[in-house]
Amino acid sequence: MISIKNGAIGFDSTLFSIEDVEFSRGQVHVLMGRNGIGKSAFLNTLSGILAPIEGTLDFDGNVFSQYSSKEISSRIAYVSSAPRGVPFLSVDDYLLLGRYKHTNVFGRGSASDLAAVLDAKQLFDIEHLSSKYTNELSSGELHLCAIAKAYIQQTDYILLDEPTSHLDYANKIRVYELLGQLAKNNNRGIIISTHDLDLAFKFSFQFYLISSQQQKLFSISNFKEVEKEFK
Amino acid sequence: MSSNRSNKVLLLLVLISILLLAGMGLRIGDIPTDFLDVYHAVFNYSEQNLSELIIREIRLPRITIAIIAGAALSIAGMLMQTLFQNPLAGPYVLGINSGSSLMVALGILSGVGFFNSELGLIGSALLGAFVFGLFVLFTASFIRSQIGLLLFGVMLGSFVGAIITILEASSQVDALKAFALWSMGSLNGVSVDQLPVISFVFVLGCLGTLLIVKPLNMLVLGEEECRLMGFNVKRLRLSIVFITALFTGLVTAFCGPIAFVGLAVPNLTRMLFKTQNHFLLLTANLLFGAFFVLSCDLLIQALSETILIPINALTSLVGAPFVIYILIRKLR
Repeated sequence: MISIKNGAIGFDSTLFSIEDVEFSRGQVHVLMGRNGIGKSAFLNTLSGILAPIEGTLDFDGNVFSQYSSKEISSRIAYVSSAPRGVPFLSVDDYLLLGRYKHTNVFGRGSASDLAAVLDAKQLFDIEHLSSKYTNELSSGELHLCAIAKAYIQQTDYILLDEPTSHLDYANKIRVYELLGQLAKNNNRGIIISTHDLDLAFKFSFQFYLISSQQQKLFSISNFKEVEKEFK
Repeated sequence: MSSNRSNKVLLLLVLISILLLAGMGLRIGDIPTDFLDVYHAVFNYSEQNLSELIIREIRLPRITIAIIAGAALSIAGMLMQTLFQNPLAGPYVLGINSGSSLMVALGILSGVGFFNSELGLIGSALLGAFVFGLFVLFTASFIRSQIGLLLFGVMLGSFVGAIITILEASSQVDALKAFALWSMGSLNGVSVDQLPVISFVFVLGCLGTLLIVKPLNMLVLGEEECRLMGFNVKRLRLSIVFITALFTGLVTAFCGPIAFVGLAVPNLTRMLFKTQNHFLLLTANLLFGAFFVLSCDLLIQALSETILIPINALTSLVGAPFVIYILIRKLR
């Protein structure tokens, strides 16, 4: 469980505040809010890159800052809003980087590493991209690969910054379904930010709104509460 | 997996070519010798035999340093390109050579005793490369543009060039000549006694690179991603600069500035092998770099009766057009 009490979130100055929030495993948590309200800053805070301006961030019962970056990286995976394609880096090699904790000292994968990569490719339906280079993919394809890589890392938590923004409608639904399954079946804690307001509410996720009027994070339960914010 | 096998075949072919070229280089020259002399010179040396003497004292150091210089500069270039995520980076264009050059110029031209000793020369060349490497690393945190960083490197080179010119203007004739010869780049300046030290530093650099192959593979995704994966990026960057300085300082101290090898060869290997696997890239740069400089040297030897070409001039003649080709492909 990742939790924050009396927190203030922001890069340099406070963007919004949080009274008390808990992100548990086995759930998909969805953050909503206007552009620039601090969703990315919040995800950065939860992944440990950014310290909260105020308040205490707890991770599985301990203060977050007590963990080394190595420990955090083996328990939290992060998918940025704009993964970068790299020339001459094939999708297979890219995905294998998600197994870096298991590959040998030269980065060579064992049979079980390759099996994990294959499993992820099947789950995300990206097998046909295997030998393509990551800089040749469409932004939607690249994003699917980035999510697949986070899945391969087998962390307790996955944080995703607008994971569906580059995807077409069918793939959006697919990603939401997959994230739901990962949370339920693999007991992962998944936290995402999104602008797919109405679509996301079709799934039984936990929803949070960062209100621009009160500059505060609220837990919400229906679409109406979001609609007001974006009117 | 078939590409895997063709990679191995290609690398093996280059390795065999290097061995053949090295054998040829040891045997052929102004004074003709045969392979038996080569064998004796290496394994069963006698100073009385003129052929063996020439092979051991002149040709062996030259061939060895050609191989080491090519490999070292190419690996250094690969490291710089991955560190700055910039295919146009290299120890020469980024001005890391300039650090060594400045220190060597100070040594040869100023006449201060410490610098003139062999150890002082190597030490100061390594130090110069390391300090300038850190300087470029520091600057890269402000200059995000790839071309911008390159321009910075060129400016750094020009600035150091100016200081060296001032040093030259106020130097004695002998020192001036020695420095002018050094700055043309030469593979002839190494003696057989220096080979163990040179080889040791070179192997150290290779082992260092081997140890950071995995973080290098991750660094390709960018520093933030690397950090999120739990790597200590600061330490990684320092290790890269340190190893680059080791390679660049070593070559610059013993051979003078050799341009474009560190830029052209890593680009060539990335194009040929189409990979970001740094274990493969390390092997490829080691072999292709050695092959390139060794071929250049043999060409220079072959032409030496007609025209004298300094090694730095030849690598520039071949390397500069190749870099322009990459620039055009990139900027178009």
